[in-house]
Amino acid sequence: MAVILEAHDLVKTYPLGDHQVEALRGVSLSVEQGEFVAIMGASGSGKSTMLHLLGGLDLPTSGEVVIDGVRISTLDEERRTLTRRAKTGFVFQFFNLIPLLTVAENVALPFLIAGETVARNRERVDELLALVGLTDKAEHRPDELSAGEQQRIALARALATSPAILLADEPTGNLDYTTGTEILDLLWDSSDRLGQTIVLVTHDARAAAYADRVLVVRDGQVRDEIVLGRRADHEARPLITRLSELGL
Amino acid sequence: MRLASLAWRGLLARPLRTALAAAGVGLGVAVVTATIITGSASERALSSATADLLGAADVRFRAFDDTGFTPRTIQALRALPDVEAVAPVAERRLVAFTAPGEDERVFTLLVLGIEPEVDARIRPPRLAEGLPLSADSPTDALVPASFAARNGLDLGEEIRLNGRREGLPPLRIVGLVEDTGFAALEGGDVLLISRATFDDSFTVPAPVRYLDVDLGSEATAAEVDRAAAALGEPYVVETPAAAAERLASAQADFAGVALVFGLVALVVGAFLIGNTLAMTVSERARELGLLRAAGTTSRQVLGIVGRQALALGIGGSAAGVLLGIGLAAAMIGFLSTTRAVLVAGLPLPPVGLAVAFVLGLLATAVGAIGPAVRAGRLTPMDALRPSRSRERSLLERMRPLVVTELAVVAAGILIVPILGVELGILPLLLSLALLIGGAMATAFVLEPLGRLIGRPFEWFFGAQGLLGRLNFSRDRARTGLTVGAMMIALAAVVALGAVAESARAGTERRVTSILPGGHAIRTGIPLEVEAFRGSFEATPGLQQASPVLEVPVVRVDGDEREEAVLAGIDPSLFQDADALIITGASRTDAFAALRAGGSVLVPVALAERAGIEVGDTVTLGIPGGEPHDLAVAGLLEHTLPARTPDGALLVSTADARDRFGATTASLWIMVAQPDVPPTAFAASVREAAVQLAAEPVTARDLAGELARSLDSLSGLFDVLALVAVVIAGLGIVNTLGIGVSERVREIAILRSHGMTVGQVQAMVVAEAAIMGAVAGILAVVTGLVVAAAIIGGGVAPELGAGLRPPWGLLIAVVLVGTGVAALAGLYPARVAGSLPIVRSLKHFE
Repeated sequence: MAVILEAHDLVKTYPLGDHQVEALRGVSLSVEQGEFVAIMGASGSGKSTMLHLLGGLDLPTSGEVVIDGVRISTLDEERRTLTRRAKTGFVFQFFNLIPLLTVAENVALPFLIAGETVARNRERVDELLALVGLTDKAEHRPDELSAGEQQRIALARALATSPAILLADEPTGNLDYTTGTEILDLLWDSSDRLGQTIVLVTHDARAAAYADRVLVVRDGQVRDEIVLGRRADHEARPLITRLSELGL
Repeated sequence: MRLASLAWRGLLARPLRTALAAAGVGLGVAVVTATIITGSASERALSSATADLLGAADVRFRAFDDTGFTPRTIQALRALPDVEAVAPVAERRLVAFTAPGEDERVFTLLVLGIEPEVDARIRPPRLAEGLPLSADSPTDALVPASFAARNGLDLGEEIRLNGRREGLPPLRIVGLVEDTGFAALEGGDVLLISRATFDDSFTVPAPVRYLDVDLGSEATAAEVDRAAAALGEPYVVETPAAAAERLASAQADFAGVALVFGLVALVVGAFLIGNTLAMTVSERARELGLLRAAGTTSRQVLGIVGRQALALGIGGSAAGVLLGIGLAAAMIGFLSTTRAVLVAGLPLPPVGLAVAFVLGLLATAVGAIGPAVRAGRLTPMDALRPSRSRERSLLERMRPLVVTELAVVAAGILIVPILGVELGILPLLLSLALLIGGAMATAFVLEPLGRLIGRPFEWFFGAQGLLGRLNFSRDRARTGLTVGAMMIALAAVVALGAVAESARAGTERRVTSILPGGHAIRTGIPLEVEAFRGSFEATPGLQQASPVLEVPVVRVDGDEREEAVLAGIDPSLFQDADALIITGASRTDAFAALRAGGSVLVPVALAERAGIEVGDTVTLGIPGGEPHDLAVAGLLEHTLPARTPDGALLVSTADARDRFGATTASLWIMVAQPDVPPTAFAASVREAAVQLAAEPVTARDLAGELARSLDSLSGLFDVLALVAVVIAGLGIVNTLGIGVSERVREIAILRSHGMTVGQVQAMVVAEAAIMGAVAGILAVVTGLVVAAAIIGGGVAPELGAGLRPPWGLLIAVVLVGTGVAALAGLYPARVAGSLPIVRSLKHFE
């Protein structure tokens, strides 16, 4: 399989008062096309920072990120944005729908941003709404939806342009067990059925267990790599066992 | 640390917002201050110009008819023992030229002939530069300093008067007089020469219109009566008020109208303060809730917001007063140059400045009441969990503002007597109330209008336009206030423009209706009709020269006697040219009655004042002559201008000649032959006027003079209204700034999905531009309603032509509104575009 995402020796430091805090200390990784990778770690481990750098939302202090052959970390702001628009899709913990737009418009947001209309992309929007099971809510406003429904719409939006890579930052962190499971099932389905490459950041082993491969992050470094393989049962036990062995 | 210090820290925490709010009230106070100072300068100038005009004279006699006072009368007066000095003033309107050549300039001037030595005893010459007139030097001339500056004239410059006798040396400017006294007449278009020079210059001496008489110290009524008894010709004793009226007719409403514009700016400032504090309270609800949870009483919370408002009010108002003094200096400089209104110096009336300061505080207080009350009502739970707060309806949110903003209008009405402004501006203040009402209504029409007006932005900007439009109606109360504030300022411009346009149209309609064919020649002095008819009739291309025989008369109404002016016209000429707007009777009947004789057409203004109706009898007579009863054949909507405010009563030429002995005319209506091109005929009339030492008059010229005066004043008011537009622009910066800070996370989401910095900026600018466009469109509607109210209220007779929308201005207002708002959106757009995505994604409200 072709490598779709690469990170080489990523370092990220933040100023904190008079000091510099190192959030990432030389992280390297690669993700193959169609792969479902989870990045796991405790709060403050650097996993979200890693996701932001991988998605081109932020720039590394040093090192580089390559998405689908594009060295995104060397691009200027404008080109980085356009690359992000074309090649990535994001799902965040707090759904982050635009409250002023209807559900269909939220799904079509990447098209709107690219200067297209909802009408021109109606078929794709309907397809995505069907994928997340919310066809009947197309003209609703986000505040008329439940939390789970909102996150499903956020997922549909992230998939709208069939991005090279979908980056999900704790997508179930704000959901109850059942709703969270629905979202994880949708993510897995999109990976398994549609071949969507996914990088999922989570601290929840149950969520990480959906992945083919889990990268364990601690103190800004990838401490371990756990290969689970593609499994339809999403059984978390093997992962938990391995994490216990690592003392995590 | 005391709890109160939270108020100051709150203000300092958001320096830009604090500065914007203070600037809003400051600019409003500045405009009020400037208008008060300018009004004061105008009053001072008028009273000092009047005093300088009358000088040491105890009484001013004005000649009743156009022939003026004779030398015998002047001698008789001077011979009286009580009389210390008699200063005659001869006057004549003349066309003047500078030295011939490429740089030659032409003016129509009021030429005044005085006796320099005796006049100096009544009014010592006030020279800005050069020398006074000398009786020994027949070529000396003086002009007002501002006239010289306006027309690029210097000392020593040659002045030639049209019709002056051949062979005389040209006049030269030897001195520039200060813009007061004589120099304040006719907007400063005045030339002063000695009477001897005047008399030597023309075959027919200029009539002595005025005699200013010094009766020594403490003149008594008996002495005035004795002086009057010595006059051999009919006269009128002119009061200082009448003299002042002659000096500046545009002066009366200036201060009032200017103050209204000041209040407009202040109301807009109050909107800004209210909006700023409301946003601060809403933003700090959590913090205030924590304070409440920790035991702070609602009164203490109210005190924190109150202190913030007080600080903004004091700081803004104080700065505003200082800025207003600077603005007043600029306004006075502008008015001094254009001479649209007489102004003098830079007076700083303490009461006026205090009123402006207090109004600033009041406007701040009015703006702060709503937010302060809301802050005081916050409960710990409401504040700590804002989502639990009951969603208040738009009407509920707007109510305190509706009540409190109206207080500003009430305050405006209250200060009218304090500042001594005439109550004639009441319709204008009611218009202000209408403007505020329109601003309040803005919030309720925001959504549909935003949808409509935002559509083109959506087509043009795509997603940015769509989001800009949707963001626009996100918080209707907040956006409504912001848009409403700009709407008020722009509507003031629209209303003023529409009223000015109507006045222009009314003036043109009036002039056209009183000047058949549109051409006339006005002579500086009345000419014997039969002696000069041939000269006028020699004009090439002329079909008919019709003199207007002017007769000063006395209207007898029971025991009352009133000065009036009768004009004899050719009824057939006016009827055939479809001139004169006659009410109360049919045109055919009215003209037939006029031709038959014994009938008169009465100006509507006089008819309304004196209760005269068609069919009544009016008694008119000349001094010393038999009174004549004339039947009122019709009422005139507009009539020929005359020295009396009502204008002339019209009779047939035959009646004027046979019943009132009129044989002279100073206005000749020139009718062209049908096949002569208008431009060629205008040139002929101009040439004929030059030959006759007269001035050509066209309907357009007359309307143009008034229009120019309107333009210079309305231009000034437009500037004041544009200050209010700038304040409203600051409001947009503020509102959008808050909007951006509230939507940090949302913007980050858009950025993460590929929205570029430019697109984010365009989204914010589009929102701002939609605000401006909506404000502009609402301003057009509201402004026209206000203009219709002013015009319908009959504030001025020139407005009789009805509402004439100034289409160009209306389009410009929408464009200016959109442009200013878009500019105001640039800063918040820059802030929005520079938000760091990652940090913004972690932002929680």
